[in-house]
Amino acid sequence: MLLSVLVYGFINSVILAMVALGFSITFGISRVANFSHGGFYILGGIFTWYGLIKLGMPYFLSAGLSIIIIGALGALMYKVILIRLRGLELSEVIATLSLGIVILELLRGLGVFGYEFRNPVFMDGSVDILGVGVGIQRIIIVCAGALLLILLHFFVHHTKMGLAFRGVAQQEHTALSVGINPDLVSMLSLAMGSVMCALSAVLILPLGVISVDEGYDILIKALAVCIIGGLESTLGVLVAAFIIGYIEVLTSMYISSALTSVVPLACMLGILLVRPSGIFGKSKEIEERV
Amino acid sequence: MSTERRKERIDRPIKAVTDDIFCLSSIREIAYLVIPRMLPVVGLLLLAFLVPPYWRKVMVITFVMGMMALSWDFMASCGLTSLGQALFFALGAYSAGAANHYLGLPIYLSIPLGTLIGAVISTACIYPTLGLRGIYFSVVTLIIPLMLMRVVETTGIFGGTEGITGLSPFPGIIVTIALSMIALWITFFGLRRLIDSDYGHIFVALKDNDRAVEASGLSIRWFKVQAIFIGSGICCFCGAFMTHYYMSIGMSAFAVDLSIFPIAASVVGGMGTLVGPLLGAIILGPLSEALRAFGSFRVVIYAALLGTFIVMLPEGLFPYLARKYQQIERWVEAPGGISED
Amino acid sequence: MAISKILSKTVMLLVAFLFIASQAAFAAPAEKGAPIIIGVPSSFKSIEAAEGLKAITLAVEEINAKGGVKVGNEKKMLKIESIETRDMEPGVPLADALLANEKLILEKKPHVIIQGPTRSEVLLAAMDLYAQYKIPSINNAVASKFVDQYKSNPEKYRHCFRMFDGKYVVAGLGKVMEKMNKEFGFKKAYIVVQDAIWAVGIANGMNAWYKNNGWEVVGFDKYPTGASDFSSTLIKAKNAGVQVVFPIFDMPQSGILVQQWKDMKVPAVFAGFISPLMGSNAWKTFGEKIEGVINIVFDGGNLPLSKYPPAKKFYEAYAKRWGEMQVGHKPAVDYDGVYAMVGAIERAGSLDPDKIAIELEKTNMVGATGRIHFKDHQYVFGDDPKVDAISVVYQWKKGGKRVPIYPDSVAEGVIEKPASMQ
Repeated sequence: MLLSVLVYGFINSVILAMVALGFSITFGISRVANFSHGGFYILGGIFTWYGLIKLGMPYFLSAGLSIIIIGALGALMYKVILIRLRGLELSEVIATLSLGIVILELLRGLGVFGYEFRNPVFMDGSVDILGVGVGIQRIIIVCAGALLLILLHFFVHHTKMGLAFRGVAQQEHTALSVGINPDLVSMLSLAMGSVMCALSAVLILPLGVISVDEGYDILIKALAVCIIGGLESTLGVLVAAFIIGYIEVLTSMYISSALTSVVPLACMLGILLVRPSGIFGKSKEIEERV
Repeated sequence: MSTERRKERIDRPIKAVTDDIFCLSSIREIAYLVIPRMLPVVGLLLLAFLVPPYWRKVMVITFVMGMMALSWDFMASCGLTSLGQALFFALGAYSAGAANHYLGLPIYLSIPLGTLIGAVISTACIYPTLGLRGIYFSVVTLIIPLMLMRVVETTGIFGGTEGITGLSPFPGIIVTIALSMIALWITFFGLRRLIDSDYGHIFVALKDNDRAVEASGLSIRWFKVQAIFIGSGICCFCGAFMTHYYMSIGMSAFAVDLSIFPIAASVVGGMGTLVGPLLGAIILGPLSEALRAFGSFRVVIYAALLGTFIVMLPEGLFPYLARKYQQIERWVEAPGGISED
Repeated sequence: MAISKILSKTVMLLVAFLFIASQAAFAAPAEKGAPIIIGVPSSFKSIEAAEGLKAITLAVEEINAKGGVKVGNEKKMLKIESIETRDMEPGVPLADALLANEKLILEKKPHVIIQGPTRSEVLLAAMDLYAQYKIPSINNAVASKFVDQYKSNPEKYRHCFRMFDGKYVVAGLGKVMEKMNKEFGFKKAYIVVQDAIWAVGIANGMNAWYKNNGWEVVGFDKYPTGASDFSSTLIKAKNAGVQVVFPIFDMPQSGILVQQWKDMKVPAVFAGFISPLMGSNAWKTFGEKIEGVINIVFDGGNLPLSKYPPAKKFYEAYAKRWGEMQVGHKPAVDYDGVYAMVGAIERAGSLDPDKIAIELEKTNMVGATGRIHFKDHQYVFGDDPKVDAISVVYQWKKGGKRVPIYPDSVAEGVIEKPASMQ
């Protein structure tokens, strides 16, 4: 039992982290809370499904294409909508949320309901880890998640573009004065967040069936993880994902599986009461705390 | 020297000194001021009683949604941008439903009691987030209703997924519609008066400059609590009212649609004006009914409208119309060109 | 003075305009006379309800092709008026779903209602509405409280009828469990359900059944709608050496459960209700992973039963008109509902709701689900399609075949242990 909690808690945590990472990256750099995250997630899954099943493309091609399309969509959203609303937090939230709803409900209206909307797993079969049977897809997710984190770390800390990203995140005006275009960086951050969102959709959705309602769930999960960890901190997201991930598995193993979705939200409220800006949201504490 | 044109806006000559002192010299000018103010009151009164039975129900829902929009706008004016008015609605609805069903209280007691209890619980639920500014409040209000919905689903309290049915109804549709309309006007004029009072200025200051509030020796948190109590109380009343109107209460009181509508109405009508949300609700209520034929696409149209307004006309319809009404606009030559500032 | 006149004139004009506008805009469509209108208020973004509507359309087309319904001395055609209530979508308030029902009733003036709302909560609230407007209705939500509510005031709810009840799932699957107990000696079960009232209701019934029949129930897990990791249940089941896992799910994510079952190599039979695995396409979607799963079809007619010709006939007619059916609940009972309703109208000889309701109570006809008759305004389900309506339990076998294994009157094969247990 304990071993299986260890294994499945780990997998669950990685899934949560991947889902939340896109949201957190975007917010951390450009301060845009992308509430259309859930919409992009499902859209990424549906594009992959369409390319793979309906157009008969190879898996990696259709997955790659849909990731690129979603990334472009994120950039486009910044260019067309968000650039007019920069700095107006409320308007940004409403605009992105309404875009998310438009995407999700449009998909529902176009007939995305039922059980045929399912991306196949990359590789069938299962292996034993510490004596617990685990599907290969889940192992792929964990590996991809780790790889993604390493790449992300390398990108942010060892490339010029990453430096520009960090610059804008820290002080937009100063970044502007040294020749960084904050609009360009913000646009790229949205594209990057969306790419991660679509990537996680491509990896995670084969575990189940694509359904519109999951889009809303994903948004809520991402928000909960980000709030617990501190909205802009990548390390915070990781830690929070592991906290929630393990709490969820422990709850369903030892208390009641019915409570799995309530517990993380309750955690979130608890954390807010004690540390309003999240576990690692230090830099914001002075500003945000009233 | 280029001759460019610019748009000149001049206030109509009846306005003197401030926004609410006028120089009137004829009945025509009185009419100019009175008609736009009387139009909604009289128009709604007529509309509510003249339309066929089914549309009367739509009017009731429109009025209730109007109140929710007013409450959202009030809270937004205090810097509390809620994405979950449904939470307050549901808490009011469940309180009133429980008072009626379990305690057997009659309708004229269960609604006020439901409103009060709902508002107290709502405030308690929101309290943890009041220390934060920005999107934290929005996110938490978005999440709490979903969480409580799951709690009701899981524990089966208050009837679980099937809810409580068979609550006491209102005596008739005329009473219902009259009550909802009166409540709407009380909310509207009450809030307007509140915002204009000294007490209300503190609320507005919470949004504009909360440190000024703190510097004045007032507790930000305590005033935010009061703002939440007032705002959520209005929604709780809506919930309690609708519960009795439909004689049942269920998990769907936490529905996201109920959170989206007030935002949409406020954005379309004009945020921060109080009249705007009302106008928005009166437009969107019947519109969403007319869109029912589109089935699921209704929400799409709705959300698209919301997005379009926030990007293209962020001030909202009401300030736009008011400007057109109160100002003379004309193109004039700008000989020196238009300065960039 | 002149100005006050203008003012009063303006107001009068305004009043007149508003009045005319309201009358013009909101006027209900004029009664068109002839057809009998069947109202279908449901949430068509749920696949069951959508296919149910197709089955209703099929029945209506068949009846109209034969010249319509004989009401008194007149032959009348049938016409369907459906409305999207969206009640299965999360985020839709009850009030909105009810308003959609009321809009249908007031504007389309349906004479009868078939299928009705999908969510239990909405049906229970809508019963008051149907009672108020006196519309005979045969509903389909699996609401466990329907019969209780009907019995609480039979006079008021005399126009409300219902097709399926969750307790019949327990009865049907109970027999299957008995068989497995006899043949393989199974006696350890694990219950895992979606956290929705109808599903939990069925599971509670099954739990009681297990206890009464000497089985050991190792665990009872509820998962919230949308859950996507079932490993904890499966691990607990595997460690306890469970032989039967009893699932009740209709959410799309429940396909994951079966996938994890194979991945984790849990040596147990899956026997219950998993909606995504219901239709003939499931074999294509999930592949061989679902081999050995035992699933229950709520209404017998949704499987092509070769031992009960009316079911096969309906299934094939449906497949010809709409393509192969993918659900285990709604189409067949809805199809029967139209015929039951039409029969009652013909016997009543009028469209008077009270007469129709009285005749509906006396219904006794051969339908795709079995023999349709009511007790407490509820279809009676049993073991033999010639006596009662039936639910059918089938097992997925090699090559993607759905083989009926219960009831014996229509069974075409026997229960086999899945590969993981051999």
